[in-house]
Amino acid sequence: MRHHYWEPPIALYLFLGGLAGGILFLSAIFNSFVISGFAEIFALPVLVSLVCVAIGCVFLVVDLGQPGVFWRVWTTSKSIIKWGATFLVIAAVFALLFFLAFIGDAWPVFAGLSDFLKPAADAFLIIAGFFGLCIMMYTGIMLSTLKAHAFWATPALPVLFTISAISTGCAAIVLSINGWPAIPTIEGMLVSEIVLEILHVVDIVLVVAELIVLLTMVLSFLGAGNVTAKAAARRWVRGSYALPFWVGMVGFGLVIPLIMYIGGGHSAAATIVAPILVLCGGCLLRFMVVNTDDRAEIPGENRYYNRVAKNDAEFISKWTYGDNQY
Amino acid sequence: MTRYVMVIDQRRCIGCHSCTVACRTWNKLPLDIVYNPVVTEGAQGTWPNVHKSWTPLLCMHCANPECVPCCPSGASQQDEDGTVWVDPKKCLSCKVCVNACPYGMRDASHLEDRMHRFVRKCTFCRDKRQLDPSAEPYCVLTCHQKARIFGDLDDPNSEVSKLIGSVKTERLFEEYGTEPQIYYIPELGGKA
Amino acid sequence: MTEISKTSSGLKGLVAPDTVSTEVDINQDGVEMIKSLCYFCHANCGVLAYVKDGDVIKIEGDPAYSSQGGLCCRGTSALLHVNHPARINHVLKRVGEKGEGKWEQIPYDQGIQEVADKLNQIKAESGAEAVASAGGTTRTDDWARRRFLNQFGTPNGFHNALLCWIPTFMAETCVAGWSPFETDLGQAKSLILWGMNPGASTLGGMHGYTDLQKAGLKIVVVDPRYSETASKADLWLPLRPGTDAALALAMLNTIIYEGLYDFEFVAQWCDGFDELQEHVAEYTAEWAAPITWLDADQIRQAARLYAMNTPGCIQWGCTWDQIGRASTTGSHAIALIRAICGNLDVPGGDGMPGPSLGFLTDEEMEANECLPEEQKAKQIGSNKFKLTSWPGYQIISDNAKRTWGKTLPTEWFCEAHGPSVFKAILTGDPYQVRALIVNATNPVNSYGDAKMTLAALKKCEFLVTVDYWMTPTALFSDYVFPAAGALERPTIVTHYGATDSFMGGRRAMQPKYDRHTDMVFWRKLGLACGQDPEMWPWETEEEAYYHILKPLGLAIECYDDFVDRYRMYYPPLHQNKFIANGGFWTPSGKVECNSSILRELGYVGMPTYVGCCENEIDTPEIAEEYPIVLTTGGGFMPYHHSEHFQMQAIRYLYPDPYFSINPVLAEKLNISYGDWCWIETRRGRIKMRANVEAEVHPNVVFAPRGWWFPERDGSADLDNPFGCLESNVNVLTSVDDWDCDPMGGSWANRGLMCKVYKCGDFDKEFKPEDTQFSIPGSSKEPGIHMTPSEMKLDREPIPFEKPQPTEEVPEGYEWVWQNNTLYQKDTHFRLDESGWLVNPRTKGYHDAYTGWRYDAANECLVDDETGKMYTMDRDEIVFVAGVRCYPGQAAPYEVPENLTWNTEKGYATLGDKPYVYDPNSGWMMDPENGAFHDANYGWLYDAGSGHLVDEATGKHYDMSYEPVEE
Repeated sequence: MRHHYWEPPIALYLFLGGLAGGILFLSAIFNSFVISGFAEIFALPVLVSLVCVAIGCVFLVVDLGQPGVFWRVWTTSKSIIKWGATFLVIAAVFALLFFLAFIGDAWPVFAGLSDFLKPAADAFLIIAGFFGLCIMMYTGIMLSTLKAHAFWATPALPVLFTISAISTGCAAIVLSINGWPAIPTIEGMLVSEIVLEILHVVDIVLVVAELIVLLTMVLSFLGAGNVTAKAAARRWVRGSYALPFWVGMVGFGLVIPLIMYIGGGHSAAATIVAPILVLCGGCLLRFMVVNTDDRAEIPGENRYYNRVAKNDAEFISKWTYGDNQY
Repeated sequence: MTRYVMVIDQRRCIGCHSCTVACRTWNKLPLDIVYNPVVTEGAQGTWPNVHKSWTPLLCMHCANPECVPCCPSGASQQDEDGTVWVDPKKCLSCKVCVNACPYGMRDASHLEDRMHRFVRKCTFCRDKRQLDPSAEPYCVLTCHQKARIFGDLDDPNSEVSKLIGSVKTERLFEEYGTEPQIYYIPELGGKA
Repeated sequence: MTEISKTSSGLKGLVAPDTVSTEVDINQDGVEMIKSLCYFCHANCGVLAYVKDGDVIKIEGDPAYSSQGGLCCRGTSALLHVNHPARINHVLKRVGEKGEGKWEQIPYDQGIQEVADKLNQIKAESGAEAVASAGGTTRTDDWARRRFLNQFGTPNGFHNALLCWIPTFMAETCVAGWSPFETDLGQAKSLILWGMNPGASTLGGMHGYTDLQKAGLKIVVVDPRYSETASKADLWLPLRPGTDAALALAMLNTIIYEGLYDFEFVAQWCDGFDELQEHVAEYTAEWAAPITWLDADQIRQAARLYAMNTPGCIQWGCTWDQIGRASTTGSHAIALIRAICGNLDVPGGDGMPGPSLGFLTDEEMEANECLPEEQKAKQIGSNKFKLTSWPGYQIISDNAKRTWGKTLPTEWFCEAHGPSVFKAILTGDPYQVRALIVNATNPVNSYGDAKMTLAALKKCEFLVTVDYWMTPTALFSDYVFPAAGALERPTIVTHYGATDSFMGGRRAMQPKYDRHTDMVFWRKLGLACGQDPEMWPWETEEEAYYHILKPLGLAIECYDDFVDRYRMYYPPLHQNKFIANGGFWTPSGKVECNSSILRELGYVGMPTYVGCCENEIDTPEIAEEYPIVLTTGGGFMPYHHSEHFQMQAIRYLYPDPYFSINPVLAEKLNISYGDWCWIETRRGRIKMRANVEAEVHPNVVFAPRGWWFPERDGSADLDNPFGCLESNVNVLTSVDDWDCDPMGGSWANRGLMCKVYKCGDFDKEFKPEDTQFSIPGSSKEPGIHMTPSEMKLDREPIPFEKPQPTEEVPEGYEWVWQNNTLYQKDTHFRLDESGWLVNPRTKGYHDAYTGWRYDAANECLVDDETGKMYTMDRDEIVFVAGVRCYPGQAAPYEVPENLTWNTEKGYATLGDKPYVYDPNSGWMMDPENGAFHDANYGWLYDAGSGHLVDEATGKHYDMSYEPVEE
């Protein structure tokens, strides 16, 4: 491999997109099926998801070779990238509408707008939540359709990404529920507590599930993957990625939060540290997966790209045609 | 119909990189873009019982390309004659196609203006063939060893058709179902 | 060239995204196609240049040329080369300290005049020999430099010739009278590619080998590396580097003692075979096996394959001339292998073209007659390395003039010993060389012992460089002249004046900026030095090449016509010339198995084994400290010599120097692929990256030549400008006299002993102490410890007493002891037993007193210089009006009745008319204007009307004398 075609902005975008999708999806589930009438406690989580989508989109566009014409992404009908972009936009629009329905609570100047939107707030959140689910699944599916890459081209990857997205969404909601612009009320706090209790359990389940899917995926690659996948998995399990994988992702990203969730009760460890660790773990996962873009080597290919010049070689920028020296 | 393919005779290739440089010079490519690397694993075996062969690469102009349907902007496309190419006027360089290609034969230059990059790849010298339909790609013309043979697979009398019909050829990564249209006559066992 | 400057090479924003096509349309209006030749290596492949408004807009390979449209990465880069921003475009005059890199651009002619004045001053003070000139691969019209040097009066021109073909050529010429270098592969059954890797050096040739191999040609490759070519061979002999002489001798032994040679040919055409048979008796395959690291059976197999598949060819390889003291021994033995197998000059064998007997040879363009004898004697190195300098050249050249009628050029074939010139600059021994003109070379990278060479260039009082680039040599120069290169000059291929065929390509565009071609540089410099303008009549190459081609009598009016209409010229008779000639072109007329010329020069006449200068068997003490065998000097794609490191598209593929090391050895030394390592010999060390690959023997490393880093700031590190030492294999090579070939002077690039170790954390920088030079070469004792005259050769000359003639040699003649024959000194014509001189070129007879040619058809003598004819009694034959006259004689033909024989004038006349009777046509000729008159009435023949005209009356008559009515 010469270099990673997709660079850190894409990993961040996949993380933030998944996170936003997870927040919207969970918020919609809770608001629609668990507790009704307290939509405002999800205003801040939805805002967080909006910020994530916004930053993610910036990263996505920045990574383009021609950011100025990003709208070309909607030119064809079939490409999966196009669907991802569409989901993002729809989810973001309805998340924004949902959020605007509550901004009047904090900023009375928008009260009129909020009052106008509020009756449809639940519907907005349902739509946003649905497309949030689409985003979560899309991030993994998109990678898994690129069958040139052994580590991506597995059905486990969308599952893993989706679980991770919900799990990080869960953590983000834990950290942000019932915050500004929601007006603090006793009921709100109580409901939030109930939601937090449920989320606590949900995240334990999700973290365990993620751990299982992740280990299954990586270890089955190691045991039964093709040459490329095996080499990549070996890198994760006992190669250059072993430290971030075992200590970072499995340890700090999953097992330690799990222990904190289970043993921490209502301590800060369980309510603040663990969710933050889950978020970090989710982010690390995207980085590691995106960077594991191993393609089956055409014999000799790596040797070739290893030898050719790096772009910072002195001779590359030394001479400019048309700019004669002597 | 016309279906352009290339036959690469590894029995003749000596790894001189002429095709690589001819391509990048005539197609005026940025330095970090190589359409047609010639790769080798080096001498294999234990001295002095060694063996070495070279694999000239280029876009496989697959009959079932991975890189075309994934393109959101329609820049990555395929002509009726099988040529897969990218229209720089349409590309937004999202690099999905770059990641989709199982052969690593596409990339956007990192030496060009950060805001005006586009994905590039071998086009079988499409620009040249547009000016002169009988023209052959530069890598074919420049090869002293005549290790690259270009032609129309749908024409039973073309050299490529005859070679593919008479000599054992191999293709890279057929398992992906891409139906690559570059046919290799391997260094060893290339006789039918 | 806006097209190029905008779009090539990947610097910022070169191709706007909306540019759809980058293709140059060659069918647009005003585009002319010019047939040119590539100028980036010696293969000179065909190039078609498309020119618009005087600028080349595109090039392509020429499919109609022998290269079949192929162009390697160097050739395809021609336009990028022409327009490269680092090219030198104007004369640079040094204004700072040497090496400081401060220059003033001055006009070309001003630069020439300033240089000429300085050279004349040095000549006046120290003699012309204090001016030397180092050449590189100008590749086509090298005679121009020699024409300058000869007129200037210095014998000290030199090239890297001694590492490339010339010693081999001279040894082969001693054996059979010319080098058999033109392989006729089409009809050959076997081919040995010996120390030659066309797969990386001459791609056009490789294509042919591959085709022929498929058609049944057996190819043996002798190469210590599993090269591109070896990978395609039928039989590969991976010998220990530097042991080619042992292999060749063992093959010679095998062929002789297994009776595989061509009995008939040997009996008829070889002289001294029995001596040779006895001489090589000890060189058995078993003897060679431990030296060459090959099995005796492998050696025998190769010998049999070649000797039993005749006709066959052995292609010369650079290696032969790069083994130091064992070089010519090997090529001499190979020359004999070819000869006794009957492969010389036969169809399917190794052709011996000889000098061109048609167009002018390079030698005829060199003005060698201008160099006085006493100056020839001052040629540096000629007292030691005689085969390739004036002493050997003179004998070989005189012989060639006697046998072929023309000879080898002095350029390449008769040169000063380059390393000895550099030593002379440093030591003043044998005399101080004060000025050096460096043309088309960067000696630091291309000559042996780079540290010593760099020191000499720094010390040289007056250094002038003609080059494309700011090389390390140019950096220390007082003047740097821009050179015109590919596409900017016409190119011809005559194999350095050593062959009888001629290929040509046109100039595609005029040189850009203030660049000039090499010939123009030397011509201008010669004129500025005060040389006779009549000696420099050609202002352009085209004029000179036309002058060269004129004797062929082709239907051309100028050089460009030749390219457009012919492009190549091959003489009619090209093989089996020795049969037509009645012998080979040696003094004895036979293939000399025991060369008389070599013996006359003080060498052994038969190849006698000597090991390469460092090896486990002869020098075990060196092998102990330096246990690994190093081989260098091989060409490798995509570079050529030390060129093209600036070409970004090429450099991108091969940015760093890599040496090859076997995985077994690498593991032992804890070296991984890509590690920077030191390679160290007794003379110094360099660093390269490890290419861990089983392409070399586990105790051999292969290091590529030429490396420097033109992208660096040269002036920033004057100990190692442009990094020209740190990865330069010539830091490791030896030019000590005892390591050089005593015959040809080749220094040692191959089969050296070294050690290899990984660059350590505290030992990864090339330090100033790594750059210190020494004479003799040693990394441990920097400085000059010995003068060149104190340095001995590996083998002392064997005194040879030339036999004396038994009879007195007439004045103006010289006696050749080998065949006991007299030759006229000036013409080199043989004095025949009949008393006539015989011209070797035409086999025609000449009068021994006057030199006039005997014309059998007219039974007379002809002075070809004046065109005058003489009778056999040497009386001038008078012609009047084109009619031969016989004054004072009776009419030698029947005179018509109405005419009168005028004995005094010697022709028949009609009455008192002034006309001359021509017996051949039967007409009367008017001496005034050459008009025809009839022999009966003297009437004028009017060609317009076809009538006879009576000038007195103006009346017209037809041819039957009937009046014609108006």
